[in-house]
Amino acid sequence: MISTFPQSLKAAALKHPKHTAFRCGSTDISYNQLDEKTDQLASHLCSIGVKKGDKVGVYMNRCIETSIAIYGIMKTGAAYVPIDATLPLTRVAYLLNDCEIEHLVSIPLLNRKHSALAAYQTPLKSILGSSAELNIDSTTWDDIFNTSIHNLDEVNIEADDLAYIMYTSGSTGFPKGIMHTHYSGLNYAKLSINHFNLTNDDILANHAPLHFDISTLGYFAGPLACATTVIVTDAHTKMPTSLANLIATEKITLWYSVPLALVQMLQTGILEQLDLSALRLVLFGGEVFTNKYLSELMHLLPKPSFYNIYGPAEVNQCTSYHVKNPPEDKTILPIGKVWEDTDYLIFDKNDQNVADGEIGELLIHSTTRMKGYWNNLELTKKSSYNQTFENSFRIYHRTGDLVRIDDAGELLFMGRNDRQVKIRGYRIEIDEIEACIAQNNEVSEVAVVIVETIEKEKEICAIIIKKENSTLSDKDIKTFCKAQIPVYAVPQRIEFMDSFPRTGSEKIDRNRIIEMLTK
Amino acid sequence: MTEIILEYISKILSNEQLEDELQAEDDLLGGGILDSLGMMKLILFIEEKFNVKVPPEDMTIENFMTVDHITTYLNKK
Repeated sequence: MISTFPQSLKAAALKHPKHTAFRCGSTDISYNQLDEKTDQLASHLCSIGVKKGDKVGVYMNRCIETSIAIYGIMKTGAAYVPIDATLPLTRVAYLLNDCEIEHLVSIPLLNRKHSALAAYQTPLKSILGSSAELNIDSTTWDDIFNTSIHNLDEVNIEADDLAYIMYTSGSTGFPKGIMHTHYSGLNYAKLSINHFNLTNDDILANHAPLHFDISTLGYFAGPLACATTVIVTDAHTKMPTSLANLIATEKITLWYSVPLALVQMLQTGILEQLDLSALRLVLFGGEVFTNKYLSELMHLLPKPSFYNIYGPAEVNQCTSYHVKNPPEDKTILPIGKVWEDTDYLIFDKNDQNVADGEIGELLIHSTTRMKGYWNNLELTKKSSYNQTFENSFRIYHRTGDLVRIDDAGELLFMGRNDRQVKIRGYRIEIDEIEACIAQNNEVSEVAVVIVETIEKEKEICAIIIKKENSTLSDKDIKTFCKAQIPVYAVPQRIEFMDSFPRTGSEKIDRNRIIEMLTK
Repeated sequence: MTEIILEYISKILSNEQLEDELQAEDDLLGGGILDSLGMMKLILFIEEKFNVKVPPEDMTIENFMTVDHITTYLNKK
């Protein structure tokens, strides 16, 4: 019985020792090698004091070491915390402090950032996988792979222990950490394997970076199914032609990404020239796939099954919709039905079930649900709903997503009940961007809105009222934001106004602003 | 040519505050310098500035990894 991730890897190493577990670029790692190298990393981590219940950061680009890092960390009983390598350093320092991270596992490519990071006030004691000269401890990967293996059997990891914490945008201006256990993470892997019939013959393309919840399919379900996961390199994600070629040369059987990556490959026009006959599943999620592009793609690739996947990072995946025919222009593509071991409610503002077909907030109860938000009991409580029965109760996660049921019994996504948006699959709280810009001393007032460009792209736009005598330019604002928040949350467009249009209750009239901007 | 591309990337496209000046041999794709949309903008810029057409099949890692790779590719055209 497999109930933790280390057990999942051990089982794969016993059953398929020579089978490739992960591949990235020209580097391969078999299940046997992965098991041994993660034992070495875990032994090293234990030797520097990492113990069950700790959190260890994973600070890397897309690379083979991500697989060693996460399973190595989990073997110690600690939880891994992925940290986006492109984040501004102030933000990295915030995460290290918020999550009490003393050790980072990284790669030499980020040496310069390691040196800069060591200057910040954080709990950091060491960086593994760094060859920079630091004022804190550092260890190279060569040293780690020379570590003799300690007896790790003494570490007693239970299903309810934390496996990873994934940070996402928070409306307070600071990101929040979503805590998942071995139980919730492994259940997600098990459900994915059942739902998509994954076997050790499958080759999964992992396009998402480690800090993005879509990556859990490749990193978790891959090893549990003893399949091969191809970690798409950063370079491939930026060059759609190379990316499309990769699907052909790697004989990918399952693709999972945000729609944008598929649209970019479609637009290269080279897909029809490639042999993609191995591809049997195309999964997409994170945001809405424009019908026009999805339709084109499905006409081009008639063989694979297409699935629209839905689920906030708090519950991993929870619904899917098998797209059987290329969608017509005006239809809303359903997010589908909940999968196994999952129940849902659709509530109105008073926590009452809405009538059939009415719009309400989606609540999810599932074995894949998170344990809560790290160090934030209040928010955890606020996002939960307890349904009590005679002898038991069920906890639902309030997704904040508005849905309704269509005539065929499929769920349709109808927007948000707050100011969270998805741009290129990234989950962004508009309040967080406003909070960031408001910190600027020369800003008197700020409103952030999302406008649609002529090309139907969503664009973040910040409208600013400057303080008197301020010489603030749009470039200054962008630079200011780039130092604080992730680059995908930095407004592309900055406008200055002398005053905002207001509603009757003196609130900023954001709808009016959007009208003014799109005129 | 090299200078023009370097300047455009450092001034307009770069996601990160570059600590050192961008060099022609720096990896544009592996690190955080450009994202996929930034790369698309760079290709549009090159097409306009140097009056060339970059067909989709040429938009590969081999041709765009560094500014050196880009100039080698453009000189072949």
